[in-house]
Amino acid sequence: MTTKDLDFNADIALAKDFLSNFADATGEAKYLNILQDVANHKTKAVQIDLEDLINYKDLDEEFLRRVTENTRRYIGIFSNAVDELMPESTEAFTDDDHDILMTQRTDEGGEGVDGSDPLQKMPPEIKRYYELYIKASSKGRPFTIREVKASNIGQLVRISGIVTRCSDVKPLMKVAVYTCEDCGFEIYQEVTARVFMPLFECPSKRCDTNRRKGNVILQLRASKFLRFQEAKIQELAEHVPKGHIPRTMTVHLRGELTRKVAPGDVVEFSGIFLPIPYTGFRAMRAGLVADTYLEAMSVTHFKRKYEEYELRGDEEEQIARLAEDGDIYNKLSRSLAPEIFGHDDIKKALLLLLVGAPHRTLKDGMKIRGDLHICLMGDPGVAKSQLLKHIINVAPRGVYTTGRGSSGVGLTAAVQKDPVTNEMVLEGGALVLADMGICAIDEFDKMDESDRTAIHEVMEQQTVSIAKAGITTSLNARTAVLAAANPAWGRYDLRRTPAENINLPHALLSRFDLLWLILDRADMDNDLEMARHVVYVHQNKESPALGFTPLEPSVLRAYISAARRLSPSVPRELEEYIATAYSSIRQEEARSNAPHSYTTVRTLLSILRISAALARLRFSETVAQSDVDEALRLMQMSKFSLYSDDRQKSGLDAISDIYSIVRDEAARGNRVDVSYAHALNWISRKGYSEAQLKECLEEYAALNVWQIHPHTFDIRFIDA
Amino acid sequence: MVGPQYDFLSNPLGAVRSTFDTAIASGTDPSSFEGRDWGALPLFRRFLFDQSGISQVPLLTPTSIRFLRPHTLVRYRGMIQDMPGNEFYVGAYKDGSVWRTNKFMDVSQYPICSSADTRIWERRLLYCVPVPGLSPWTEVSAEEFGNLSMDWMSDSREKRRRDEESSDAPVSYDEVQDSPNSKRMREGEDSSTSPHSSGAATDIASSATRSGYDIGSNSPPCLVKVYDSPESEMKLNDIFEFVGILTSPELQEDNEDSDLSNGFSEDPLRHFPPNQVPRLHCFIHRKLGIRDFLQNNPTVEPKPDLVKGIREALLRHLTAILGNDDVTSHFMLLHLLSKVHARDNDLAVGKLSLNLTCFKKEAVSVFGKQLTLVLKNLLPFTFCIPLTVEYLNTVSLAPKKNYDTNRLETGVLQLAEGSHLIVDETKLDAGTLNSVGVENCRLLKNLMELQQVEYDFKYYKMDMKTDTQLLILSEGKSNILPADVIVPFHPSSSSCPEAVTAEVLEAWRWYLATVRQLPHSIEQEMQKEVERDLVAARQEDRSLGPQDLSRLLTMGRLMSLSYGETSLSLEHWQMVKELERLRRQRLQ
Repeated sequence: MTTKDLDFNADIALAKDFLSNFADATGEAKYLNILQDVANHKTKAVQIDLEDLINYKDLDEEFLRRVTENTRRYIGIFSNAVDELMPESTEAFTDDDHDILMTQRTDEGGEGVDGSDPLQKMPPEIKRYYELYIKASSKGRPFTIREVKASNIGQLVRISGIVTRCSDVKPLMKVAVYTCEDCGFEIYQEVTARVFMPLFECPSKRCDTNRRKGNVILQLRASKFLRFQEAKIQELAEHVPKGHIPRTMTVHLRGELTRKVAPGDVVEFSGIFLPIPYTGFRAMRAGLVADTYLEAMSVTHFKRKYEEYELRGDEEEQIARLAEDGDIYNKLSRSLAPEIFGHDDIKKALLLLLVGAPHRTLKDGMKIRGDLHICLMGDPGVAKSQLLKHIINVAPRGVYTTGRGSSGVGLTAAVQKDPVTNEMVLEGGALVLADMGICAIDEFDKMDESDRTAIHEVMEQQTVSIAKAGITTSLNARTAVLAAANPAWGRYDLRRTPAENINLPHALLSRFDLLWLILDRADMDNDLEMARHVVYVHQNKESPALGFTPLEPSVLRAYISAARRLSPSVPRELEEYIATAYSSIRQEEARSNAPHSYTTVRTLLSILRISAALARLRFSETVAQSDVDEALRLMQMSKFSLYSDDRQKSGLDAISDIYSIVRDEAARGNRVDVSYAHALNWISRKGYSEAQLKECLEEYAALNVWQIHPHTFDIRFIDA
Repeated sequence: MVGPQYDFLSNPLGAVRSTFDTAIASGTDPSSFEGRDWGALPLFRRFLFDQSGISQVPLLTPTSIRFLRPHTLVRYRGMIQDMPGNEFYVGAYKDGSVWRTNKFMDVSQYPICSSADTRIWERRLLYCVPVPGLSPWTEVSAEEFGNLSMDWMSDSREKRRRDEESSDAPVSYDEVQDSPNSKRMREGEDSSTSPHSSGAATDIASSATRSGYDIGSNSPPCLVKVYDSPESEMKLNDIFEFVGILTSPELQEDNEDSDLSNGFSEDPLRHFPPNQVPRLHCFIHRKLGIRDFLQNNPTVEPKPDLVKGIREALLRHLTAILGNDDVTSHFMLLHLLSKVHARDNDLAVGKLSLNLTCFKKEAVSVFGKQLTLVLKNLLPFTFCIPLTVEYLNTVSLAPKKNYDTNRLETGVLQLAEGSHLIVDETKLDAGTLNSVGVENCRLLKNLMELQQVEYDFKYYKMDMKTDTQLLILSEGKSNILPADVIVPFHPSSSSCPEAVTAEVLEAWRWYLATVRQLPHSIEQEMQKEVERDLVAARQEDRSLGPQDLSRLLTMGRLMSLSYGETSLSLEHWQMVKELERLRRQRLQ
């Protein structure tokens, strides 16, 4: 035993050395400062971060191992070290009961007749008015509950989970203090377990020698209590292997750690995994079965927002590598719902929805939203819902709901009466829950008209206002809305006009930055593709290879969160460009006698938003012209998805249309040379493909309208 | 009791101890075991399989539990319904200078002194219940364990009494310190001994029928403690056969203790009182499939000509049951053979749910009943849900975690793999669904479309994959339950089917259980043909989605399987197309 004691004495010395000499990054003596605060009654918690111990210059590896594997013991050792190091208070503070008691005790302590009596010696515990915690290093992945094994008993572990139950906070006796009616001494009894056997007789030497069975009275005021709370945590859904049931674990929270968690919180605990000491009758069975619990040392709440997304390990490097790759825009968008075939532009739009643009607050306090809203409309069975669900999975914070299943209240917010307290409580609906995230609303068209109006406010002002049952308030709902709807008659009816088919009020439609129509057209190639896919799945029990490796959702998430940190601005020289583009769209609309869309200031804002999102994807602080061009192209594509039939009706075939676009643009610039890149830009904005452009170039070159550079494909008009 | 020679059946613990002692004697440090096996399992494996001792091991049933003595080897068949998690126990301890083990035991053989050197190990708990919807014909006939239990019965009474007084009594109560608790305990113990020794087992038997799981089934719920096996081996809703040591309710639960330990540190087993749920310490476990439930599982090769004969007979029978509706009976046969054989993302490949429409109320009473009866006779696990508004509004279909009892409360849809479910929609009237009803409808739809059930864990939901054959009887097309195949039912007569002999029935059961396990492939040539046909079909009818194409392929697969063939032939594909044509004709 003596060697053991020596060991511990040595360890106390080590602990003291660490506490007094450790300096954090700024060179401050971190722990001495904490102790000073404790002495001044400013703080109660002394948290020793194992990370600091690892970084400590004179680290003794053995010591660190001992601390992690026998943590409970070392809490005592560190406490002893802290006791010895505790500085005098430097600031005046009002004495509370505890201090007065302590002064009295130290006064009496001197005249103790039988000071050698161990029961009368004040346990150090009662003198401490701080609580000491040892926090596990936050490096590496935390354990899941099922990974904590019998071999971890007594060790410091880090566990993530969701809190399912919390008990009330109760006092837990730490030191019981009695006074003896006969000898008048204070008797101390340290309580280490949850249950203890109170003393009935005075065990002091005086009573013993007097052969009196002194009657002891428990002094509640003098005893030391700790706040104590029990919680249950359960494994997170993503940690449970397929076909298994989530495990649970009991957590004990003491002192300052109580009231930190509530049911439903996703948290990470670091704590000591311990068996429960049984008492009484249970002790007999305890011989066989031991209950275990986690004595919490620290609590961290998980945040699932982009802004708080922390990059892990190699993710930073991976993102840097991806960012260098020029094709990141295509690569990321293809990795969205990779199992859904085609729909490239829609996926690009959805990627931009995930990225979003920065929110702007003008000087006069007006806010301009940065979130993109997208509406997908289409025939049943074109994988709209799958797209929605996939986006929700990728987004760190996403809520999926269906229009039919949720009333206006369910979407925005509701005032409800708490069944227990009878108080009115405000409960956020799907849109509020998706604050700073994405809200996907399926079956948008099936929603009641009255419910849909509740979304108007959310989509432009990004708040939810409530005036109900005496509560008037406004909740934030800074969410990007992704809606999916069926055409008015279930299927898109080509004989009717697009407006009739869409059948959503214009006030709502104009709030969507992009509106996409996905039609299920009769197409031999697509059908064959589908048949092949189905046969392949039946044959090989898996989907056919995609031809590329999609990025993992976690990588996507990391990249997007990194991109969202930027807030790109529009440089002055681009302003003119955007203005011209906008006005040309307006003019075009004015020219046609049956405009399909109403280009408003909202459209202009949409262009800016999409461009900013594209700039974010490039990790650029400024919007480039290419971003604006791509934004215009996407908007054009979305329009064409709705009105492509008109284009066919207008009599112009694609090739001649491309020719006229190129000719007009060249004429506007008053030049005869047009670079291929420019031409591609112009035509893609109108929704044509590169293949079509090439076809056009060849055809008109054959007509001697222009000459094509054999290598660069640049165009030179031949003056007639 | 511990002799040098141990009997595996009546004293399995003897084998455990003697191997442990051997291991210790050979100088192994008990702390190095960490709960792993030290050589006991190979012994049991040899006894059970190599010496085919498994047939001598009695099966745990409500009847046999009366005769089975604690600490003997038993067999138990059940479905894993809940996983209460891990239990930490003192696996080895030093009794004086001798290491002893508590593995495979509930209570220590000798009292453990509090200062003793102990090693804490862990074991996994599984709460098993009889397979839901088990058909009576799967029940093990009385003879199988009869001759064993007979000679036990004769001496079991007095032997029990003797055993309890001898070394099996785990802890002597004198050991308890003189605390105020102990007195109460002692009184409690006194009063509980009398029903204990005479009828603890009867309690289990009677409570088993009370707990609602098992009307007419052949096993009580059971808490199985599993050692030495990787976690991934046992999944929820799997059916297993466990061989292990039965322990009986020796100790009264100290529920009075609960006022002291208010909080949640309660015993996780509190809700499985041992007098209702026997404990089984498992040595060896084996996953069971449908074939294991056949009576005298003949290991015949499914030869095509043999299979063909059975197929014709079964089809004839089904046609007779279904009022000479040939098309429906063909679809019924394919439906009965369906099985989820692959999953691609959320798509379950191989399912073929069937919706028989045009079922008038009177038709249900004639054909529905017959059909239910026949299916019960053919398939091992069958269930029938009468769909009414009230039922939908009240029943809990999905299992739900109850955090107060820390148990997974089962739901109707917690079914073993390969279960058959009939949903009778003809009883549905117009009415209002409450939120429970809406949720239940969604669950049924999910089960239909994705073959998965959402288990409710309050803070999140978890999708559990299932493989359930679904048959819907309805008047019009069922919109609540969108089945893969909709067949309007057109009976032409309601002749009573001829009686079937037991051998024929058995052959049919064997056919259904075996054929659906066969592998299947499509040759390159055939693939082209199928692709062409699918494209043509879609060109003709735009409303065909990928699901419909997938269904046609599934039908092709099942059709060739029903003939016992493992690759799709043109002939069978033509049959599928013809069948589909006839069906579509009916739909118009």
